[in-house]
Amino acid sequence: MKDYDLIIVGAGPGGSMAAKTAAEKGLKVIFFERGRKPGEKNSSGCGLGPRMFRDFPELMKNLTPDKCPSMRAGAASRNYFINKDDIVAGYIMARPTESVSYEPAKSWITMNVYRSEFDPWIAKFATDAGAELKTSTLIVDLLKEDGRVYGVIDEKGEKYSAPLVIGADGVISVVAQKSGLRNKWVQNQVTLVPQYDFQAPPEKIDDIMGDETLGIWWGSTFPSSYQVFFNDGFHQGLGNWMNWWDRNPLYYLNRVINLKYYQRLLKILDAKPRELQAHLLPWLDYPNNTHTDGVILIGDAGGFPCPLEAEGIYPAMVTGKIAAEVASEVISSEDVSKSTLKKFDEKWQQTSIGKEFEAGFELYNIWKALPFSPKETMSWFVPMIMEIIGGIFDWSQPHALRVRQIISHVKSYMPKATPFIMAYVFPLLTKVFEDDLDKLMDPKKIMKVLPKLLDMLPQKKKKKGGEQK
Amino acid sequence: MNIELDGLTKRITDTGNFISIDNNKCNNCGRCLVICVMNLWRKKEGKIYIVDNYQSKCLECAACYQVCDAGAINFQYPKGGTGIVIEKG
Repeated sequence: MKDYDLIIVGAGPGGSMAAKTAAEKGLKVIFFERGRKPGEKNSSGCGLGPRMFRDFPELMKNLTPDKCPSMRAGAASRNYFINKDDIVAGYIMARPTESVSYEPAKSWITMNVYRSEFDPWIAKFATDAGAELKTSTLIVDLLKEDGRVYGVIDEKGEKYSAPLVIGADGVISVVAQKSGLRNKWVQNQVTLVPQYDFQAPPEKIDDIMGDETLGIWWGSTFPSSYQVFFNDGFHQGLGNWMNWWDRNPLYYLNRVINLKYYQRLLKILDAKPRELQAHLLPWLDYPNNTHTDGVILIGDAGGFPCPLEAEGIYPAMVTGKIAAEVASEVISSEDVSKSTLKKFDEKWQQTSIGKEFEAGFELYNIWKALPFSPKETMSWFVPMIMEIIGGIFDWSQPHALRVRQIISHVKSYMPKATPFIMAYVFPLLTKVFEDDLDKLMDPKKIMKVLPKLLDMLPQKKKKKGGEQK
Repeated sequence: MNIELDGLTKRITDTGNFISIDNNKCNNCGRCLVICVMNLWRKKEGKIYIVDNYQSKCLECAACYQVCDAGAINFQYPKGGTGIVIEKG
C-alpha cells in the first residue's frame, strides 16, 4: 500500500486544481484518471467563463493556441427562436453590454476549448507542482476501517491510503457512492445530454459566424439546444432531466439538425459530423451532501454546476481549490471528521459559486420551466416574444393599427403567461431584490394591477375607421 | 435526414463487462429502452436485456444506470484506459 497525505479521484479541471493547490501547500498528493490521459473521457463542459480568467489569472494567462489549438473566444451569442412548426421565427444576437464590469467579460462571452486539450493542460500544472498523476486507472472502492475512510482501491486491487479523499470523479462518482454520500441522483437532479461535434474549416467559421461563439436554439418541439464554436468545429447538443424524455434523446437533437435553417448553416459552413457523444450532467438547485468523514466531493461529483446554465469547469476549479486548502488545514490537525470538513461548505458558500446558489432554487425552476419545457412553455413563449419583436416590423396595416393588433394578440397569451410569471418570474425577482423590493414592486400588487392594465388596452379601436385583421 | 452514427466514435477494446441487469430487480418500466441514445436495450418476452455487442456501441453516459429506479442496472466505468475515447468533447 502506498501512503499519501491526500488522494484525489479524477483528473478533470477540479481534480487537477485540487492536486495543484495541495502540492503547492507541500502535501504528498496523488490524483487518478481512468482515461489514458486527462480529458479523454469528457464531452462538453467546454465553455470557459470569464470568471476563470478573473479568479485564476496566473494560471489562465498561460492558455494559448499552441497549447490548446481548439480555443475560440467570441463576443457574440445568438438566440434563435423556433416555433412549433420548426421554423426559425427570429433571432437576437447579443454582445457584452455596457453594464458588464470587467475584462475579459467585456471582450468575450465564452472561451471554448476541447477538453482533450484543456484537461491535460491544466493537469500539468498539478504534476509540475509535484502531484503524482496515475492514468488508465479506475478507482472502484474506498478503503474503510470501522466505517472510517482511509484510502482507495483500484480495479487491479492496488491500495492507496490517505487521511482524506477528494471525489472529483464526475457525475457517477464512486467516491460519493462508496462513502454513502449519494448512491444515485434523484431524477430531477441530473440531465442527459447527447451532442454532435461537427468539423468545419476555421476560415468558414470566421467568415460566416464572425465572433459569434455561442448559439442557443430555443425550440418549441425540442429542449433548447446549444451550439458552441471551436477553432475548427462546433458542438450541437441538448439536454433535459432524466424523467423528461419520452423517446430517444437523439430524436430531439436530430430535430434541430433537420431545421431547414440549420441545414443551410451546415451547408455554408461546409460542416460535417465528426463525433457523437452523450453524457450526464448534474443540474441542481443546491449542492447538498458535499462531505462526510474523510471525504469531500467537488465539481460535478458534488453537484456544483451552475443552477441556471450548468457551467461546470469554473465551479469545479473553485471547489477543487477550496477542498485542497481545507485538506491542508485539517490533515495537519489530524481531524478529518464531517463536522470539521464543514469548513468546505462554509468556504465555497462565500465564493461566486455560493452567491450563485443563493438564488439556485429560483434560477433552476425558471430555467427548467422555460427552455426545457418546449411543449408547455416555448410553444407560446416563442410566438409571444416574436409578436413583440417581429410584429412591429410589418407594413400590412397602418402602424398604429399594427401596435393595437400586436398588443391585443400578446394579451391572448396572458392566460398562459400570467401563471408562468407568478410561478417563476416573481419568485426570482423577489429573491434577487430581497429587502430592496419596495412596495410598488410587490409582486402581489403588480399581479392585481396587471390584468386591469391589460383590460384597459382596447381589443379594437372604437369607431374612427381602420380595418381590423 | 438522420446523421450516420457509424464512424462517429472511437474506442479501445478490452473493456470487460461493465453493464448488466438483474432481471429479478427489474420492474419492466422500460425507461432504459427510451433513454439509451444508442438503443442498446431491448425487450423480448417481457424480459429486458442489453445487446450482446454493447461494448462496441455504448457511449458510457450511464443514463441507463441513473434512470433505473428499481436499481436493476449495474454500471461501472470500463477498465482504466479502455472504452470510448472522446477527442472533440
